[in-house]
Amino acid sequence: MPEIVNAKGLACPQPVLLTKKALEDHSDVDVLVDNAIAVENVKRFAANAGWAVEVTDESGGIFRIHLKKQDETAADNRESECISCADNARSAASGPSVFVIVSDTMGKGSDELGTILMKSFIHTAIDLEDGPDVMIFYNSGVKLAVEGSDVLDDLKKIEGKGVKILVCGTCANYFSLTDRVAVGIISNMYDIADTLSRAGHIVQP
Amino acid sequence: MTETSEKYLVAIFQSVSHVISAERILKNARVPHKVIPVPRKISSDCGVCIRFLPEHREIVENTLREKDESFDIRAL
Repeated sequence: MPEIVNAKGLACPQPVLLTKKALEDHSDVDVLVDNAIAVENVKRFAANAGWAVEVTDESGGIFRIHLKKQDETAADNRESECISCADNARSAASGPSVFVIVSDTMGKGSDELGTILMKSFIHTAIDLEDGPDVMIFYNSGVKLAVEGSDVLDDLKKIEGKGVKILVCGTCANYFSLTDRVAVGIISNMYDIADTLSRAGHIVQP
Repeated sequence: MTETSEKYLVAIFQSVSHVISAERILKNARVPHKVIPVPRKISSDCGVCIRFLPEHREIVENTLREKDESFDIRAL
C-alpha cells in the first residue's frame, strides 16, 4: 500500500515539503492535492529526484499523484540521458545557462527607458548564439510573462526553442497576475533556488 | 507570428526619446508594431526602432506624421 500524503487545501510550498518528507521514508507514495499548480510542483520535484510519476484526476477537483521510486538501473539511465541531451559542451561541463529577469525594466535611472531596453533585450535573446537554457522571472519581471505583455510573442518563441521558462508563483500572486501568466510554468522558490544554484552561469540584464 | 524577418519594415528615429514617444502614439492608436533593437545591418549604433508589417505602413506613417514625428522607413 502506498503511503498517502494529504496535501489538499495546502498552498505552495507545503505540498512539495510534505512530499519531500514522505519520499525520504517510503518508496511508494500517493500525494493528494486540489489544485493544478500543486500538481505541477510536486510532479516536477519528484521527477527531478528520479521518481516515476503518474497523475490521476479524482472526483471533486482532487488529483492523486502516484510516486514510485525507480530502481537503480532506471535512475542511471535517466542520468546518462540527461548528460547526452545537453546539446553543447558548455551545458554538460558546467551546468545550464540561466537568464534571470528580476524586473520588467532593464537597468536603473529611467523606468521609461528601462522598459524599452528590456523589450529589446528579450527580443534579442531569441537568436542569441549562447542563449539561455532556462529563464527565470521574478519580482516585477513576471509582468513580462503575462497576457498583454509586449514581449509575450518573443517569450513564446524562446520557449518554442526548448528554453525552460520559470515564473515565480509568489510574485505572480503578489501582483494578482496568476491567472494571466501565459508562458512558461508557474514555479516556486525550491525550483528557482535549485536552478540558480546549479547554473553554469547566470545572466542578469 | 510566422512571418519571416524579410517581410517587416522598420521606422528609424533620431533618438530613443522619439522612439518612446512614437511607441506611445502607435499604442494609443492601436497600430500593431514592436520595439526592437536597430538591426546591425542598418546601423551599428546602440539604438531601438519600431518594426511593423508592410500592410501597416500607411497607418504607421499617417499616425506618426499627424503628431509631427520624423523618421525613416527601411526594409528589415
